[in-house]
Amino acid sequence: MHTLKTLLARWRAQARLDFMWMTRDFRFFAINVVSDIILNLAGVTAVFLLAERFGGIGPWSRDQILFMLGYAALVRGMLEVGFGYNVLAISRRIGRGQLDHTLVQPQPLWMALATEGFMPFSGLWQLLTGIGITVWAILNLGTALHLGWWVMLACNLVASCAVVLAFSWLWGSLAFWAPVAAEEISSRAFGFLYQLKAFPLDGLSSFLLAGMLTVLPVGFVAWYPCRQLLGIAPPDFWHTPLAALAVSLVAAFVFTRGLKHYAGTGSQRYVGWGHRG
Amino acid sequence: MILTARKHLKTAAMVAVRSLDDRGWAIAVDFGLRLLRVAFLLSLWRMLLPETGEVSGMTRGAVLTYTLVAEAFSGLLSSRTGLDGALWRGDIANRFLRPAGIYGQFMAEMFGGSVTGLLLFALPLYCIAPLLGVDPLPASATAAALFVGSLVLAVCIGAALDFIFAGLMVVLEQNVYALMQIRSAVSALLSGAVIPLALMPWGIGEVLGFLPFASLASAPLRIYTGTGDPALLLGLQLFWLAVLWPLAHLVWTANRERLVSHGG
Repeated sequence: MHTLKTLLARWRAQARLDFMWMTRDFRFFAINVVSDIILNLAGVTAVFLLAERFGGIGPWSRDQILFMLGYAALVRGMLEVGFGYNVLAISRRIGRGQLDHTLVQPQPLWMALATEGFMPFSGLWQLLTGIGITVWAILNLGTALHLGWWVMLACNLVASCAVVLAFSWLWGSLAFWAPVAAEEISSRAFGFLYQLKAFPLDGLSSFLLAGMLTVLPVGFVAWYPCRQLLGIAPPDFWHTPLAALAVSLVAAFVFTRGLKHYAGTGSQRYVGWGHRG
Repeated sequence: MILTARKHLKTAAMVAVRSLDDRGWAIAVDFGLRLLRVAFLLSLWRMLLPETGEVSGMTRGAVLTYTLVAEAFSGLLSSRTGLDGALWRGDIANRFLRPAGIYGQFMAEMFGGSVTGLLLFALPLYCIAPLLGVDPLPASATAAALFVGSLVLAVCIGAALDFIFAGLMVVLEQNVYALMQIRSAVSALLSGAVIPLALMPWGIGEVLGFLPFASLASAPLRIYTGTGDPALLLGLQLFWLAVLWPLAHLVWTANRERLVSHGG
């Protein structure tokens, strides 16, 4: 109970700081809102245009594709709200030695990382874009949705976010050993995940598809859960959450090992006079 | 003139060599991911397009070649000079002190930075293209020659757009990342680098084809695959080159003095 209270207090403090940061200047506010909306829309527009042009993609109808795009945008929006300030891109914090700033704080590391990235105002615009696309898609689909479906949607959304977060942390943890290279590798792998998150994977060979559901779990960001939610594949509540659990366990293992290594070496990236190498 | 050219060639060579320094794993992962992206996009087109016949003037074979060449030359087709990063880090100041023009420096760096990708990614990709079921060759020898010219024009137009965006960054005094990301996201979509403009719905590709972004990727790729009129496409590129560089020079010179950098 005490932990929950502390967590809520931290989130409230972050929300206040984020609000002040976002509203300090109207031009800054407007540019951030517009750029966030454009970015989230641009990330899904290509697939939407293809679906519109060809009346769907493979087994997906145009409106089903639209739903998947909304789902993908929602995942991105939720992660923006919950894990900003380089908590999602953890390789930057580790590689640049900024993790030290967190380690010296009088709170557990997990609590700091769970709360420091909370951006309910600056991250909101990407989330709203996702909500907008999803609502539009659901209205177009016109199917009656029962309570169980909404629960399944919520669970899968959380699981998809966990997959992305764990994937980023898994690659990002390499920065404990190779600060510069891991930052580049991690940002490229993460960019790849986000770039292909909205594409349907149905046409891939079984070998590539297996890779996209394991080594690079792009499929679990939107494609796989949406197939089940829309009845394109037999519905199974547990698949995406199980995948999230598996990736999270691997990420936690690698992060913990990296942290032990870091305890002995510290950040190696800054040279004596403070310049980043 | 010869001295200036030599300076820029030297800059390009230095950047090309340095791009390999201590980045072996990062380059390998990057190329691996790019290969996966090509394989992925090829499978998507195979799912969408019929094996025979044309869709909006493009056969499936032409679209597959278009996709492969777009990825092989993506470093040049996306035309990023790195000016935004230099503004962000503040090392733009060092460049003003060098004995070479600012435009030439950035273009030389961009060219040098793309050499690694051309040698270590594009070349192997061309070699394995038949294994991916793609004919990587241009539509004709003339198309190949015109493609080279069109690619040079595309790079020059991209550099002009970069300087215009950089000028806007200075004017707006806002987050460089936000503007960089918007520029990347919008130009990737509007340039036809991901989806050929002809395959866009509602005929919007025909309109987008006349915008400067189309000169960055769509024009050279259509020339390469023989799916566009080279005279029209090259003419449009020359037009945008003539319009955008004076504009870029105007925007940049008007705003470079206003630059305040706190990066590092």
